[in-house]
Amino acid sequence: MYPIIRLVNRNLTISINPAFLLWQIIFPIIYIFIAGFAYTSLIREVPFGSKDLAYPAFLASGMIGFNIMNSTLVSGIIIWNDRKYGMFEQIMSGPFTRANYILSNICTIGIIGLVSASLIALIGYPVFFDSLDFSIVTVPLIVFAAITGSVLFGSLASIIATKLRSSEGFNVILNTAFLFFAFVSTAFYPAEGAPEPLKTAFYLNPLTYLVDIIRAGIFGNVSEFVLIEMGILAIIATILFIIATKLLTKLDF
Amino acid sequence: MSCIIINKLSKNYGHVQAVDDITMSVKSGQVFGFLGPNGAGKSTTIKLLTTLIQPSEGSLNILGIDAIKNPLQVRHKIGVVLQQPSYEPTLTVEKSLEKYGMMWNVPKNERKFRMEQLLKDFDLVDIRKKRNEDLSIGQRRRVQVAREFMHDMDLLFLDEPTVGLDPSARRKLLDYLRTKVNSGLTIFFTTHILTEAEYLCDEIAIIDKGKILAIDSPNALKNRFGKDKTIKIHLLKNHPEIAKLLTGIQDCKIDFQTGTSITIHSEQSEIVLMKILKILNDNSIEIDDLSAIPTNLEEIFLKMVEENVSNN
Repeated sequence: MYPIIRLVNRNLTISINPAFLLWQIIFPIIYIFIAGFAYTSLIREVPFGSKDLAYPAFLASGMIGFNIMNSTLVSGIIIWNDRKYGMFEQIMSGPFTRANYILSNICTIGIIGLVSASLIALIGYPVFFDSLDFSIVTVPLIVFAAITGSVLFGSLASIIATKLRSSEGFNVILNTAFLFFAFVSTAFYPAEGAPEPLKTAFYLNPLTYLVDIIRAGIFGNVSEFVLIEMGILAIIATILFIIATKLLTKLDF
Repeated sequence: MSCIIINKLSKNYGHVQAVDDITMSVKSGQVFGFLGPNGAGKSTTIKLLTTLIQPSEGSLNILGIDAIKNPLQVRHKIGVVLQQPSYEPTLTVEKSLEKYGMMWNVPKNERKFRMEQLLKDFDLVDIRKKRNEDLSIGQRRRVQVAREFMHDMDLLFLDEPTVGLDPSARRKLLDYLRTKVNSGLTIFFTTHILTEAEYLCDEIAIIDKGKILAIDSPNALKNRFGKDKTIKIHLLKNHPEIAKLLTGIQDCKIDFQTGTSITIHSEQSEIVLMKILKILNDNSIEIDDLSAIPTNLEEIFLKMVEENVSNN
């Protein structure tokens, strides 16, 4: 087995536990089936391209992006735990390079992101079934979003993990950042109709682009704007990945 | 044959010289002890030898490989138990061993076999299902050391491996290490506990302030640096007048805390002893106990470090 595969195997073993898996499923179910239908009395339909989406369908597709982001927290947690519990140094004194370690983390969050997206797509399928516009680009768009989003948010979590030593600081900053990303985005509600400053803030948030790309894939609305969003998402993911890699490379023992 | 050849190795952090121009070699198939007080440069040296950090100057050859140019090649052939604990908190003991073997690409069947053997050898059978985060410090240390034997290696670095172990576990570990050395493994071992070094090591280097003060076998070090011998005489009754009687005899100390005892500490302790015995005999003072205390490594170590401090 290649060193990266061995490290991915180890990463998945230490980060996936029954509680994590349960939370990854139950949390979106609550949002999609409880919040989604409860809010229908307030938001009946959301205009999306040429069609109007039922709110639960809109929310379920947003939850795919939200869950991808949430699951990539794992990347930061792996790095932070490895540093705290001495495993980073131990791994680096074994048959691995720093590049192996970094790439294994990216692969881990890529896998978790993809599995997470598939899981929510399956769970949410009954609610967006009516509006689904399956085409040749549906799967590639979701896979692109899952991988790019995982790299982006995984790199961000890794940057925070390399910079912070205290568990309180790490948790507070990570949770605050991810809370901001979750709620100042189009994952839960549409940008149209929101106050202008909030609308601007939505588009400063990569989760908005991630969710827009997933919706475009599921509901068949690949506009020029979505292509621009894909470009922006890829650029931000690349920049953050380079920063995370540099920080990890410089991490001292 | 030498498995570690260090030549003019230095490591500095800004103005701090952690390792200062070290030159030495370690023979294969032995336990090499690396002793020094806190902050002497032991852990930095281990980090250099295990290729975790790069030296500022000098060359380093490990197992015939240039460790500065090919660190990964070296890491494939060595095992490392670092001073700080390292574990995955949520894994059980057996899962830790199994996953560590997998990380080292040990075949599945072999992993299972080694895991069972190590669980027995390190008294971990009863706690095999316990998660690492629920273990005591000593248990965690045992798992950390045991884990390193999941993979094959030619050279093992142990940075204070017995920290947190009770005396029985400590002795068991030292004996286990000895059996591994007898079957061909070379061990580079740092410790603060000098009796351990004396018990286990074939050769010892003493380091202080980044410099090597001496390298030799424990016995040779004792012969070279332990010329002073200590003899203790305990008198049968309390004799306050003894201080006056022994005035003029150098290299002896009198202690009245537990009866009357005389301690001779001299390079010529036998001659001093003869003089004192004559005085005691002339004054009809009876002896309760007389014992010679062998020079131990701790005394030599302390003496060398103190001398190094005063020289600096």
